Amino acid sequence: MTTPPTSDQFATDLAAFIAAEVATVDDPIDRDTDLLLSGLVDSLGVVMVSDWIQDRLAIVIDPVDIVLENFQTVKAMTAYGVARGAVAAP
Amino acid sequence: MCSYGFLVISDKSVLTDLLDLNRETLVSNGPALSDGTDALDYAGFVDAAAGVAGALQRLGVQSGDRVGVHLHKTIHSFVAVHGALRAGAVMVPLDPFAPVEQLAAVITDADVAVLITDARAATFDQLVSLTGLTGAVVRSSAASDVIDVIRWDELPDIDRAPPLPVLPDDPAYIIYTSGSTGQPKGIVHTHRSALAYVRIAAAAYELRSDDRLANIAGLHFDQSTFELYVAPYVGCAVTVVPDAVLRFPASLSELVERERVTVWYSVPYVLRQLVSRGAIETRDLTSIRWILYGGESYPADELAGLMRALPGAKISNVYGPAEVNQCTRFDVNVPPVGDAPVPIGGAWAETELLVVDALDRPIVDGVGELLVATSTMMDRYWKRPDLTSAAIVERTFTGSFASRWYRTGDLVEADSRGDLVFLGRVDNQVKIRGQRVELEAIDLTIRQLESVAEVAAVVDTDESGERGVIAVVELQPDAELTLRELQRAVAERHPRVGVPVELVVVEALARTGTSKVDRNAALVQARASRFR
Repeated sequence: MTTPPTSDQFATDLAAFIAAEVATVDDPIDRDTDLLLSGLVDSLGVVMVSDWIQDRLAIVIDPVDIVLENFQTVKAMTAYGVARGAVAAP
Repeated sequence: MCSYGFLVISDKSVLTDLLDLNRETLVSNGPALSDGTDALDYAGFVDAAAGVAGALQRLGVQSGDRVGVHLHKTIHSFVAVHGALRAGAVMVPLDPFAPVEQLAAVITDADVAVLITDARAATFDQLVSLTGLTGAVVRSSAASDVIDVIRWDELPDIDRAPPLPVLPDDPAYIIYTSGSTGQPKGIVHTHRSALAYVRIAAAAYELRSDDRLANIAGLHFDQSTFELYVAPYVGCAVTVVPDAVLRFPASLSELVERERVTVWYSVPYVLRQLVSRGAIETRDLTSIRWILYGGESYPADELAGLMRALPGAKISNVYGPAEVNQCTRFDVNVPPVGDAPVPIGGAWAETELLVVDALDRPIVDGVGELLVATSTMMDRYWKRPDLTSAAIVERTFTGSFASRWYRTGDLVEADSRGDLVFLGRVDNQVKIRGQRVELEAIDLTIRQLESVAEVAAVVDTDESGERGVIAVVELQPDAELTLRELQRAVAERHPRVGVPVELVVVEALARTGTSKVDRNAALVQARASRFR
């Protein structure tokens, strides 16, 4: 089994993925940026991001977990990864 | 108990009567608005709207001025709309996710004087510099030293304004759609046409004061007319679904369960997401008694899935371009079989339908264009008499008393039971997630890219059933273009649904006999390239 990424590494990779593949506007993405209200991520984007996380962390995300609280920011998604034991705790 | 009708909508009624004449009844009725975070009862709703109207008056708004409402969906977006109407203004809803250029084009076209907005500071600055705005009510940290600004949190201290008098045939709101040239096109509804819709919809869906409607559509999308105006008419509650919640079907299902929503109106896309990713087997959604869907067709097998998932809910396919709000309805009583499209049904109240051939001769059998005569019809397109006279047919037909018909541009055919079935368009307008996309306008934007020689935007469905725009492009010699570059360029000018999901570069686009790009052939080229 591979070592889980550090939370810092995961957050950096995730923000880079969103900026490069998901966002349609060139806004800076930091860990607390509200990805949804800013329009950076729409509903198709949510699917792209959750797929990316599943691939990157080799986990299956239960639909019940794909909720606002877990996906609003890079920080929230990282915390979710930590809670699932797939990202090393900071 | 049937509790609508405590306001009699007469020839003299206007939309502001909804939150005024009704006030005594409404106050006793309790909850009006909630969004999962904040809530208002009807007394609070009326008071907050009167505060917005007071602020607009202080900013110089007079009867008939246009006020833009550019807000994400919360209870405050409803307050803003009714506040603008109370100030006697013509309300112009704007998409909070639209690119700045598109917003500025609408603000300029409608000559919006004052904007109610939650735009971030940078966006707000751009809007102020690109348009002739003279004032704003701001629900964010944005500020200005160029125009007068009142902050949303100052509203409680503003003098409440009584409704300013307006007349039934005055414009009430202007909803913009993209025109085929890329120029925005404003659909003008009067107080009379809006209230006709309110009256018909309240009766059609048997609404009562103990109902709770889910507001899913944005203010700029005409479906929201249902919750915005019908709810205060019947005195029922609205759960305004915040935009962020809408991105998460499992959050959406949780909110609907918690709020005990009874009537739902959305595009099929949201319902399909709810069924496939909303974890609905873990939610109790039995409070929903009626689901209305419209804006585009619902894949038959998935519609059957929705009926299995929510067996207690009645389901109706509703149809109507924004120019007429709604004009037909089909109740889906049995699950659809095979791939046959679900009909759009027949005329609802105060409405006549006519199917005509290319020479405007009424036909009984076969495919033709649908004309609609109804009390809910728009007055005109804003400042576009050319488009208005093209869209409105002023004549009588044998066997009908109506003399003013809206030309829908939709091709329909009656099935064996007499229900109309939607078959396509007479032009290049398409719908994606219920929103209108004009393929010619997308072409124009892409053609302006230096690397592009010629282009045809087409629409296709991917393996998961989602429709999206594909750009079939012929490049300039030695030029290069990436999908991301293309997407950025289109996203600057068009709504998100118009942004291509795929770029197909071809040696040469197929042409018709008259050397025009052949869009149907381009779709074939796109498919050949995708499945290669």
